Amino acid sequence: MMNDADTMSIEDYLAGGGKLSSPDNVPPRYRAELLRLMSSFVDSELAGSAGFADAINWAPGISQRIAASRIVLEKAASAEKVLDLMEDFGTDKALYNRAHDWATRQPRDAKVDPRRQGGDMRLSVFHAPLISWTDACVMNLLMGLATGIQLRELAQVSYIPLADVIRDIIPVEARHKELGRVGLVEICATEEGRSEAAASVDYWFPRVADSFGAVGSGRFERLARMGLRHRSNKDQLEEWTQAAQAQLAALKIR
Amino acid sequence: MSRFTPLEVTDVRRETRDAVVLTLKPDPADAEAFAFTQGQYLTFRRMFGAEELRRSYSICSGVDDGCLKVGIKRVEGGAFSTWANEEVKVGDHIDAMPPMGRFFTPIDPATAKTYLGFAAGSGITPVISIIKTILAREPQSTFTLVYANRQMHSIMFREELEDLKNIYLGRLSVIHILKSEGQEIDLFTGRIDDHKLDALFDLWIDAESVDAAFICGPEALMLTIADNLRKHGIADEQIKFELFASSQPGRAVKPAVSRETSVTGNSCAVSVTLDGATRSFTMPKDGNSILDAAVANDMDAPYSCKAGVCSTCRARVLEGEVEMAVNHALEDYEVRAGYVLSCQCVPVSDKVVLSYDE
Ligand SMILES: Cc1cc2nc3c(=O)[nH]c(=O)nc-3n(C[C@H](O)[C@H](O)[C@H](O)COP(=O)(O)OP(=O)(O)OC[C@H]3O[C@@H](n4cnc5c(N)ncnc54)[C@H](O)[C@@H]3O)c2cc1C
Ligand code: FES
Repeated sequence: MMNDADTMSIEDYLAGGGKLSSPDNVPPRYRAELLRLMSSFVDSELAGSAGFADAINWAPGISQRIAASRIVLEKAASAEKVLDLMEDFGTDKALYNRAHDWATRQPRDAKVDPRRQGGDMRLSVFHAPLISWTDACVMNLLMGLATGIQLRELAQVSYIPLADVIRDIIPVEARHKELGRVGLVEICATEEGRSEAAASVDYWFPRVADSFGAVGSGRFERLARMGLRHRSNKDQLEEWTQAAQAQLAALKIR
Repeated sequence: MSRFTPLEVTDVRRETRDAVVLTLKPDPADAEAFAFTQGQYLTFRRMFGAEELRRSYSICSGVDDGCLKVGIKRVEGGAFSTWANEEVKVGDHIDAMPPMGRFFTPIDPATAKTYLGFAAGSGITPVISIIKTILAREPQSTFTLVYANRQMHSIMFREELEDLKNIYLGRLSVIHILKSEGQEIDLFTGRIDDHKLDALFDLWIDAESVDAAFICGPEALMLTIADNLRKHGIADEQIKFELFASSQPGRAVKPAVSRETSVTGNSCAVSVTLDGATRSFTMPKDGNSILDAAVANDMDAPYSCKAGVCSTCRARVLEGEVEMAVNHALEDYEVRAGYVLSCQCVPVSDKVVLSYDE
């Protein structure tokens, strides 16, 4: 191609921090891991959107109703942006949406294994059901903080089209988190609201923490060599724990 | 699923001794599908003997040029590029998929941006498309191109770049770096390395003003350039890369799917390769997929939807026969090359060899 003698394998190129931009030059194992990352994101957004639909009808006022509708809409739109990238690899977009029931949830008290459950690749936290407006706001704040950290990691992936899309999604997700926080400020204005929120925090805190994956998982190193991972699960979890505790302290919940 | 459409070759221009520029025209009915964004590429297919090859080539015209052009450099021993350079003539038709690719930044006529481009050899093709489009559509933006070649006579689009400099006075600068031909300024001779890039930034390019950078060249050079750009304060999200290395199946690789596999037993000896390691196990022919069997045997085999829709579980059958229940993600061409959706395939023969690494 470039008649240059200094050829290098794509594996070495990626290990050296190189980036790819086209489905035509991704090696097979890279392709598989990239698709896994993308479908985990898509499934989580679709399940998140579907799960939040109920919250629209729990909303205490019109502005909250609009906010909840927006979350449902925008999470589906974010899923589609990444699904469009998967389509470049052959994924059938229309069938993908129908392949799973995004609204299904396990019982509230089920112990969900943080590893993959059932048919789709959503993060385990999206298998747990929401039960009230307060619960939805708590989940949104805690998971929104986690999503922010997880997306900043994903924005560094070596597949540039995905990194670009994720950078566009980061502010959208940050807004969703903010809607949860604003909702909680109102809820926590009363003692009763605050104690309800505290119960929800007890429920969601460990589940959101689990969404960072196993600490010290062996896949990390292999994915890191392909430029698909950068920061360890442990680092991200620590960052989240601090951020979440600070937010809860500000709301005087914990 | 991909749609191929025949494009008519309306011009064949010899660009350098071993590169050709083809002008292609879609049927008026398909013209809309072939509208493109600067920096995108076309994927062609052609039968070579009994085998279909697909190859991608970047569009080298600007979006306002009113035509589709690709520049194809002959690769030593390369099937498609040699054919394109030696046999294609005006009036021929070539099957192509509509333009794809995301090697571009959005155009905004109102902004005044400073762009920087690095191209080596045929890596100029998408970059010249970007340059032409930016010069035409963003009247206040400027572009600096650093363009590496072996010698003067191997430079693709040399005259066209000169013309662009004259048309858009003061908005395009081109720095030619020639590997094995001396130039007046020493800095412009030899290979591009970190040191040379530092000197370029010291003397010729103001890194702080750069809004976006495009790089298209061989792997090692792209790494060197990207590292240097970061060193000069240009952020990752400002850098766009396009790599020409192809993962499309080449000519010689032919899956050894043997036809005389025996189908007598109720179980199958499966051997699966993943990340360079091969594991063998026996699975019953009870309708379970090979993917499930691999996972049950502690292999971290890739999958997502398990419904034949996403293609995450794609693998290649190297030996034996399997049956796919549904396939909504692989094309006939991939299936003929031996690819399967492992979540959907059950063994038919008594022995199956499958790899996730190919
Ligand atoms: C997104 C994208 C855009 C591209 N744009 C262009 C373009 O605008 N112009 C252009 O000339 N090429 C471009 N390419 C490269 C092109 O698609 C082919 O890979 C190249 O022309 C070789 O194909 P072939 O069939 O001639 O060679 P093959 O028959 O595939 O290979 C023959 C021999 O050459 C080696 N080889 C294969 N590909 C390369 C390579 N790229 N460099 C060095 N050695 C190689 C093989 O290992 C083999 O030994 C692009 C590739 C991609 C992925
Ligand atoms: S896992 Fe989606 S096609 Fe097999």
